[in-house]
Amino acid sequence: MSKFRNIIFLLFLISQTISVSSDDFKEELYIKPLPPMHLYVYFQFITLITGDTYEHSHLAPRSLKEIMSRFQVEELHLTLTEGQWRHKQWGYPVMDAAPGAELYAWFAPTVTDVNANWKKLSATLSGLFCASLNFIDAHNTISPKMALTPLGAMNIGLNYTSQFARYASLPREIVCTENLTPWKKLLPCESSHGFASLLNSRLIHNTNYHSIGVHIRKVCSNNECTNYNFEVKQTVALVYDFKIINSINWSFKLLFGQGLFGGCPLSSSSKIYIDLTSNDTLPFKLSPKPISIIQSQRGGSDTLLAVYDIKADSPMINIGAKHSIDNKFSVTIPPPLHFNRYVLGYGKEFGGIVTEITNTYWAPIDIILLENAPWWLPIQLSTLRINGEAESSLILKQYYSPGRSRQRPYHLELLMRLPPKSTTTVTIDFEFVFLKWQEYPPDANHGFYIGSALISAKLPTAKNYTSIPVDGTTLESVINASKPWYPAVFRTNGAMVSLPTPDFSMPYNVICLACTVVALAFGPLHNICTKELVLKPSGTPISLRQRIINLFKKKKD
Amino acid sequence: MWASASFVGVLIVIGVPLWWKTTEVFRVSLPYEKINAFDSEAHYITTDLVVLANDDRTAVNVAKEIQKAFSQSDVIKLRVTKQIISETLRQTLDTVIDEQEALEEIAATFDQKHNTLYVVQRAPLLQDVWVGTERVVFFRDGKASSTLVSALDKWIYEPSVLQGARSESADAARQVRFPSSDYHVVLSVVNPKPHLMKVEFDAAEAVEDYIGSFVDELSELHNFTLKSQWLYLLDFDFQPRKVIDKSKVGYHYAIRHERLHLLLTKLEERAATHVSELPTVNLALYVTQCDMSPAYIYDTNNQKVESRVQAFMSPKWGGVVLGTPTVDECAEGIHRPKVTQIMGTFLAHLRKLIGITDKESIQNGNLEALRSVAPRRWEVDSLLRIRTLEQVTSAETSLKSLAKLLGEISNIVINEEVGASINIAVQNIQNAKNLMLCGRLLEAYRASQTAFIAAETAFMDPSLLALLYFPDDQKYAIYIPLFLPIMFPVILSLKNLILWFRGKLPKEKVD
Repeated sequence: MSKFRNIIFLLFLISQTISVSSDDFKEELYIKPLPPMHLYVYFQFITLITGDTYEHSHLAPRSLKEIMSRFQVEELHLTLTEGQWRHKQWGYPVMDAAPGAELYAWFAPTVTDVNANWKKLSATLSGLFCASLNFIDAHNTISPKMALTPLGAMNIGLNYTSQFARYASLPREIVCTENLTPWKKLLPCESSHGFASLLNSRLIHNTNYHSIGVHIRKVCSNNECTNYNFEVKQTVALVYDFKIINSINWSFKLLFGQGLFGGCPLSSSSKIYIDLTSNDTLPFKLSPKPISIIQSQRGGSDTLLAVYDIKADSPMINIGAKHSIDNKFSVTIPPPLHFNRYVLGYGKEFGGIVTEITNTYWAPIDIILLENAPWWLPIQLSTLRINGEAESSLILKQYYSPGRSRQRPYHLELLMRLPPKSTTTVTIDFEFVFLKWQEYPPDANHGFYIGSALISAKLPTAKNYTSIPVDGTTLESVINASKPWYPAVFRTNGAMVSLPTPDFSMPYNVICLACTVVALAFGPLHNICTKELVLKPSGTPISLRQRIINLFKKKKD
Repeated sequence: MWASASFVGVLIVIGVPLWWKTTEVFRVSLPYEKINAFDSEAHYITTDLVVLANDDRTAVNVAKEIQKAFSQSDVIKLRVTKQIISETLRQTLDTVIDEQEALEEIAATFDQKHNTLYVVQRAPLLQDVWVGTERVVFFRDGKASSTLVSALDKWIYEPSVLQGARSESADAARQVRFPSSDYHVVLSVVNPKPHLMKVEFDAAEAVEDYIGSFVDELSELHNFTLKSQWLYLLDFDFQPRKVIDKSKVGYHYAIRHERLHLLLTKLEERAATHVSELPTVNLALYVTQCDMSPAYIYDTNNQKVESRVQAFMSPKWGGVVLGTPTVDECAEGIHRPKVTQIMGTFLAHLRKLIGITDKESIQNGNLEALRSVAPRRWEVDSLLRIRTLEQVTSAETSLKSLAKLLGEISNIVINEEVGASINIAVQNIQNAKNLMLCGRLLEAYRASQTAFIAAETAFMDPSLLALLYFPDDQKYAIYIPLFLPIMFPVILSLKNLILWFRGKLPKEKVD
């Protein structure tokens, strides 16, 4: 792994120089048809912060700078996602995200109490994005050892990954308009101009998958990498379903409800890239015609990209694609690495999580699998099976940190070498636990979400790979960016378990029943203890009261 | 009967106190007597005043006049001392022409410290009274004492403002200030149409230069963090009205005063003031568009505000300056705001926002105009006095309200931490009061600040609300089925038990 990291740093040493005059803002849109029925739309807004003061901001949002400086964050990734990216069908997204909310950050090495800063950071972000990130606590936070590495420039020689890194995900989080509105406010053009004006919340939430994200990292400001600049990248990833939009031919008006009225006047570049690779199998024609078509060869895969350069004063443009009627039947070829995750077991005592990872490539692929189970789902290392075997030669290195009830989650990381053309099954068993009645969420019978597992891979091929190289910032850097291998971090699908859930009216019923029993028992008990039967001598004068009672008794007889 | 007595013993003598103790809401014992004894109206500050006159008679007269004038005031007590100016100093004072130089002479001779004002006779003065930037007031002769008293009253001590700070009621400074230990000052430059108009303005430098040197002087009071940001494409419709006038252009645009608060709402959406935990003083430079330039604000009486800089401020929010590009700038597409004018306006706003009042003019009195951005030294003293009173009063009111709430709502928990901060607050209020009496202003201010922060933390602590919403009906739903059938026979048996104790139980029944 250290080699892996060192190469990233080396890449940074040769990163580009940036003018120091002022912040730089770029907006980009990437559209890729995912045949047969889906369309991937990815927006990215990049603000490069120049200058080293946190106090004064130009194009970058002051709120984020304030947060970065107050909590001494070096790198921050926040995504809010609804839906599940299907890697097997759709290939790989530019940036993968776990369903629900996901937050991870690296703090500066000068931070003394990382946990306190992490708690405050999540609480502040929760307020900023109107998300329930305030539920991030010690009991659902882990420090990834191997799976996550900083994407930004870091000092060589410091082990950033474990000590100053924090990762948490909230799979139950529901993402909607209230998160998008504050997200838009961070953009210099807000949603009034530029590509962000296309983000019409009514239409973008009507998709199969949508994910908004904020990624902040450090980039070198000079060739020697002695100074850093911050790069704020705001992303939106959408997957449209042609069935939902009711047409296989798409256009901006259909996808976003309106055409594009020029770029943001503050951006130094506004570009739209449309992936034409699927044109071979599912031919379509773009209108209006792109300014240029670029061919990119990257890691053994050829990509055709149509490019549109949008200026601030460009007239309204409505880019669309029309498919020819004779649709050929196409078979989707799965990417080199795909995976699936599900829960095993029956009853309410034991269960298991299965992660199936398939390597379709002809060479072995090294991956790091990070399993992160909440404390109420105790996974035991002793039950770990790889393809049914307890001792597997596939595991090169492993890390396991047992959880602690109500304090710490279970954390397992496996460095594995997947053999070529194979499927590896990782199984780990868990026990169901009883929660305290206050720990159940509302609607507990709905089930409990388990967060996704992280799979960090070194892909030997760039097939289906769309991510931006680590030394690049824009989509332009993807073109012809061949590397020995391609780093990627994927999230598997989440899963749900149904924990033993009591009948919540039970405590009250028990109290009522117990009270009734006590009340019924107490009367006779008290009577027996305090009263005694006494023989009454006959012939004593009968009182008036006794006479009346006798009168009633006689009548009864 | 013993059985009956043991039931009573277990259930009433042991059971009820046990139940009472276990269901009790946890509260640390608090100094209620001290809190209830707080009287904000009784606070006053002692301050030192040194009269320096050329001869003994003038010194006595002036001192007497001042003492008489302020003897009625219950918020400020003057401790007046008299001195005769030494011969050498008098000669220098008489020969130096410029007042500023004279001021420096005094400053060199006397050790200037907080809360001490020097009232110095200076015969060659043109007016009766001259007030500069130092803690020194010049007066010409014994006849100037009435002007001197009004200058002390209206400029330097301002007892009416202090009374306002003490009673939390409205006064000249009250309308704009909000107490806190630290502040953020954020300068936002708003350019609604960046594609039509470029703005050449170094916001970071301007805020560091102008606001920075102002707040440096106030470092004893608060910690200020200076920030700046640019907001683009924040479009606001002023609904301007074109008015034909006699200016060079021949027209101007009128912005109605009622529209301005809507601009603040629009700014607040984007200004990101909520991110920091500290209160923010907002300063915004809004560059108006060329199609409504030159623009003027019309006041409530529908009169044009004649000022070089069109600006307005909102209490507790901040100040806004409208940058209006000239016709030439519009043609060129670049607006270069006049930094000194704009920052001067912002400074005036900031002075008012943190509580330095505008000083009215006094006949025969000369208040030297500010030459630099730094506040006058006696203004800092005055601000210290206001803040001390304000913070003590605020802390007292918070604690009183808390004590009242505790009396009214039985479910409020007071844990050890809250109890500790209440005690700290009470102790520091006491300290601040004593220090105010001694006239040790800076220490009193620090104590009052500690008291204020401690009282606020105690009052706002979320742990107070932990049990607030425990529903009573659920409590009774459990108590009634449990206690009613049990307590009924036990309480009924009490009668017999009492009779038995007194030995009056009819024996024949037992036999």
